[in-house]
Amino acid sequence: MIGYFQTIYRGFADTFKGLAVTWRHLFKPSITVNYPLAKLKPYERFRGALLFDAVTCIGCNLCVKACPSDCIALENQKTPEGKKIAKVNWYSIDFGKCNFCRLCEEACPTKPKSVWHSLDYETVFYARNQMSRIWQQGNPWMGTYYDAGEKIYKTPEGDQIPIEEIPSRR
Amino acid sequence: MIETHSSSLKTDQMFINLGPQHPSTHGVLRLGITLDGEVIVKAEPDVGYLHRGTEKLCEVRGYHHCVVVTDRWDYVSAMTNNLVFCLAAEKLMGLEIPARANYLRVAMCELNRIASHLLFFGTYGIDIGAFTPFLHAFREREMVLDLFEMVCGARMTYNYIRLGGVMADAPPGWADKTSEFLKYFKTKLREYDDLLSFNPIFLDRTKKVGIITAEQALDWGLSGPNLRGSGVSYDVRKTFPYSIYDKLDFKVCVGEAGSCWDRYYVRMREMAESVKIVEQCLAALPSGDIMAKGVAKIPTPLPGEAYAHVEGARGDLGIYLVSDGTSCPYRLHVRAPSYINLAILQEALVGLRVADMIAVLGSIDIVLGEVDR
Repeated sequence: MIGYFQTIYRGFADTFKGLAVTWRHLFKPSITVNYPLAKLKPYERFRGALLFDAVTCIGCNLCVKACPSDCIALENQKTPEGKKIAKVNWYSIDFGKCNFCRLCEEACPTKPKSVWHSLDYETVFYARNQMSRIWQQGNPWMGTYYDAGEKIYKTPEGDQIPIEEIPSRR
Repeated sequence: MIETHSSSLKTDQMFINLGPQHPSTHGVLRLGITLDGEVIVKAEPDVGYLHRGTEKLCEVRGYHHCVVVTDRWDYVSAMTNNLVFCLAAEKLMGLEIPARANYLRVAMCELNRIASHLLFFGTYGIDIGAFTPFLHAFREREMVLDLFEMVCGARMTYNYIRLGGVMADAPPGWADKTSEFLKYFKTKLREYDDLLSFNPIFLDRTKKVGIITAEQALDWGLSGPNLRGSGVSYDVRKTFPYSIYDKLDFKVCVGEAGSCWDRYYVRMREMAESVKIVEQCLAALPSGDIMAKGVAKIPTPLPGEAYAHVEGARGDLGIYLVSDGTSCPYRLHVRAPSYINLAILQEALVGLRVADMIAVLGSIDIVLGEVDR
C-alpha cells in the first residue's frame, strides 16, 4: 500500500521535473524563423542549386566527367569548317539526377568558375521537364527549360531567392 | 515464454502488417506479425522497400564517385560511411593521410555520431509517447548540422571525406563555434536525463522490456550500442583502432541488462564520450595539408582486396572492396550494422505484447537506407 502511494508520488515529482525543463523555455527567445517572411542565409560553402555562366565556360568536358550521376551534358560551338572551339553551344544539367556533391564545381578549371553551387535552397520544379535546365549563350545563370508543348525555352518559375542578391562564392 | 494457448477458450491467431508506411517503423520497414490476442507469437521483418542497388552502382563508378553513393546508405550519419569507404580504398591504394585531415575526419565522425544519437533520442521519445524530447533533440541536432553546413556545404549527404584526405579545411571560426556548441551541449545532456531518461513512465515502458542477453546478442551478430547495451564491451574504435583513435582518450559505454532502456542509455552516454573526443581533436588539431600528395584524379588501384571497418553510429560498419586494376571497383560489399541488428527482432519480439513492440523496434535504431542499400 505504501509502495502504491510512493509510485504515485514519484510519478508526479518526476513529471514536474520534466515540466520544469520545458517551463524554462517559456522565458527564452524563439529559435525558429518565420520562414516565408524571414529567410535564413546559408553559410558561404552551402551547396544549393547549380548555376552556370555560358560566357566563361570553355567547354572542356571536365564537369561532365566529374559528375557521378551523369547529369551534365554540353555541346561545343563549331567553326563553319566543323572544328570545335572553346565555347559552349548549349549546356544542360538534369536536376532530377543531381546529387549536389560539388564535384563539378571542383573540377571546373576556369576562373571565375563557370559552374558553381549557389546559396539557393528554394529551387522548385512544377513538372519533370523543368528539372532539366538548359543554358545557351546569353541566358541568365539560372538557365532555361524547354517547354515541349509550346516548343520554346522558358525561364524557371517559382518564388526563388534572387540569386544576384546573394554573394556567391564563385 | 508467456502461455499463448488456453485450453478452455479457443482463439484464432491474427496476422497484422506493420508498415511499410507506418510512422514508427523509421522508414519503409514491414513487419509481419502473428498475434495471439495481445501476444506476439511470430515476427518477420520484411526489408527491401528502399533497395537502390548501391553496391552494384559502385561497380560502374570510379572510386572518387563512390564516395557520393556512400552518403546514401546511412543518411543519418553519412560521415562514417564516407570514412569507411575512404579507409578501404586508401588501403588498396596505399595512401598516407596527413595528420590534419585525420583529426578533421574523426572530429566530423564524432559530431555526426552526436547528431545521429540525437535523432534516436528524439524519435524514441515519440515512439514511447513523449513528444517534447524530440523538439529538444532537433534543436541541438540543428546546431551540429549547421557546423557541417559551414565546413562542407551540405546538411545530410556530405561527401566531405575524400580519398586521401578531406574536401576542404575548416573555415575560420569553425573551431570556436564547435567548442561553443560542445560546452552548451554538455548542459543539455543533463536536461535530457531530467526530461526522459529517468522519467518513471519511460522507465516502466522500457526498463524490463525487450531484453536481449549477451549470448543472444553475440549469436545474432549485433554490434554497436545494441551489443554494448547487453553488457558486451566491444567497440571497433577500441578493439581495432583506426585513424587516430588510438591516440584519443575515451570510454566504451556498456549497459547491464540488455533491455530497451540499457540500449537507450548507452547511446546517451556515448554522446558525452563523443563530446570528449571532439574536444580532444580540436585541442590537438595540427596544422598542415588536408589532402595526401599524389592522389590521382581518376584513381586506379592495383588488383587486390581490402576490408575496413569503423564504429558507425549504429554499429560495426564494414566495407569489403575488390579491385581488378581498373578505375571502378570490381566488387563492393557493405556490412551494414542496421541490417544485421534488425534480424534479432525475429527473436526479441516473440512473447512480447503489441504495445511493447514499437519500444523494442525503436531501441534497435535502424536506418532503412542502410538496411536496404
